[in-house]
Amino acid sequence: MAKIIVVTSGKGGVGKTTTSASFASGLALRGYKTVVIDFDVGLRNLDLIMGCERRVVYDFVNVIQGEAQLRQALIKDKHCDNLYVLPASQTRDKDALTREGVSKVIDELIHDGFEYIVCDSPAGIETGALMALYFADEAIVVTNPEVSSVRDSDRIIGILDAKSKKAEAGESVKTHLLITRYNPKRVEGGDMLSLDDVQHLLRIPLIGVIPESETVLQASNDGTPAIHLHNTDVSEAYKDVVSRLLGEQKPLRFIEVPKQPFWKRLFGG
Amino acid sequence: MALIAPPDNSASPFEFRSAELRLVAFAPATLDPVRLEAGLRNKLGGGEHFLTGEQIALDFGSLPETPDAVEVAALAALLRRYSLNLVAARGGNKDQLAAAREAGLIVLSDEGMAPAAPAPQTATTERTPTLIISRPVRTGQQIYARGGDLVVLALVSAGAEVIADGDIHIYAPLRGRALAGARGDTSARIYTTCMEAEIISVGGVYRTLDETLPASLKSKPAQVYLDQERLVIEALSDIN
Repeated sequence: MAKIIVVTSGKGGVGKTTTSASFASGLALRGYKTVVIDFDVGLRNLDLIMGCERRVVYDFVNVIQGEAQLRQALIKDKHCDNLYVLPASQTRDKDALTREGVSKVIDELIHDGFEYIVCDSPAGIETGALMALYFADEAIVVTNPEVSSVRDSDRIIGILDAKSKKAEAGESVKTHLLITRYNPKRVEGGDMLSLDDVQHLLRIPLIGVIPESETVLQASNDGTPAIHLHNTDVSEAYKDVVSRLLGEQKPLRFIEVPKQPFWKRLFGG
Repeated sequence: MALIAPPDNSASPFEFRSAELRLVAFAPATLDPVRLEAGLRNKLGGGEHFLTGEQIALDFGSLPETPDAVEVAALAALLRRYSLNLVAARGGNKDQLAAAREAGLIVLSDEGMAPAAPAPQTATTERTPTLIISRPVRTGQQIYARGGDLVVLALVSAGAEVIADGDIHIYAPLRGRALAGARGDTSARIYTTCMEAEIISVGGVYRTLDETLPASLKSKPAQVYLDQERLVIEALSDIN
């Protein structure tokens, strides 16, 4: 049975697209046939992060409006065999997304044997974001450890509870908290909310913590999802997130200030 | 959402629905624009505030009996500067109400507005069932228990609003707004197991809690009630 997972946050710039790209790649690396859909019509970004921007011919809106076949719009990822990208349109506006249209595309993806459908939501709480979350079975709520991001996440969790298809059917969307740009040093210094603070405020289960890192910027500029930058904290953290979503137990990592080696402490390195 | 409804030819071009508008009464004790302005600035500050965008009914009831001509238009403009929309008036003498009507306000009959006196709890033997909410009330959500009490068994987030015509019980942190006695019941109370509210109100008397609560109240079980016109926040541990 296919699973539809929305990556959402309310607030912009917290790492939704970065997360969608790495998370979808991670699922594909684990062998699942996965598609990641960019719902940010008009401001498409996912194709850049996935490094397939030069291969976009048709897009999500073309498919919805019957101007292209789904298979013409799906772009095969260059890193993973099981992964496809459905890019957003750069030129249309977000009202081009209709619920019937999105539903039809999702049904077709399920029919084509996709096991995970990852929906990369735009920021805000308007049409694009509502469409991205409407069909979701599960949600990853991306939150930075600061109050405005937490507030917006709270808002989007409320919308998931009230306006998703599951909510309309009296069920609930399984909601996971993903904290990104976490910097243990700044938490210790008191200028960033701690993990406990964020969890205390939002009260939903934590699926992972992605440390703040230069790696993310390098990865986006390079068009490679960060999960592929092996032996980096960010890559490892995203792999843990994928494992936890698949039901495996993984202890949290990268949430403490790294201990300096003895000789560095000694010489004040 | 963008669901397109099929055109239904049998439908009437409009329908009447029962609607209840929530007005906030603004009861000035003076008509001196300078003093009013100073008071508004002091209470609401410069930017957004907890009453931003509210519809206001001008209540002449607290004015001393003076034959002063009321400059309703100027008063409306003053309120608008604080993002308050003056839409109605009530409780004045004939001249005052005439001035209000002239300025385009709706004149409300006094019976229409509840919070006047200890009248509201009349002989309603029928009891409205308590509204019980067992999921978190998140930022931007609003819950209203019309005509009765409200029980919330989960978190009320900052930016969320819980309203009841009766009492409000929250068995979790209250971080948003809680308005008990929304139709003027001054005996209503708010109870929470963890007091971190932004705004509390009982029977129309508001208080913003932007200054930090004392340690004896912050994040502690507490109740809120009206003592005369004064809103009291009390730690529940103080009672026993």
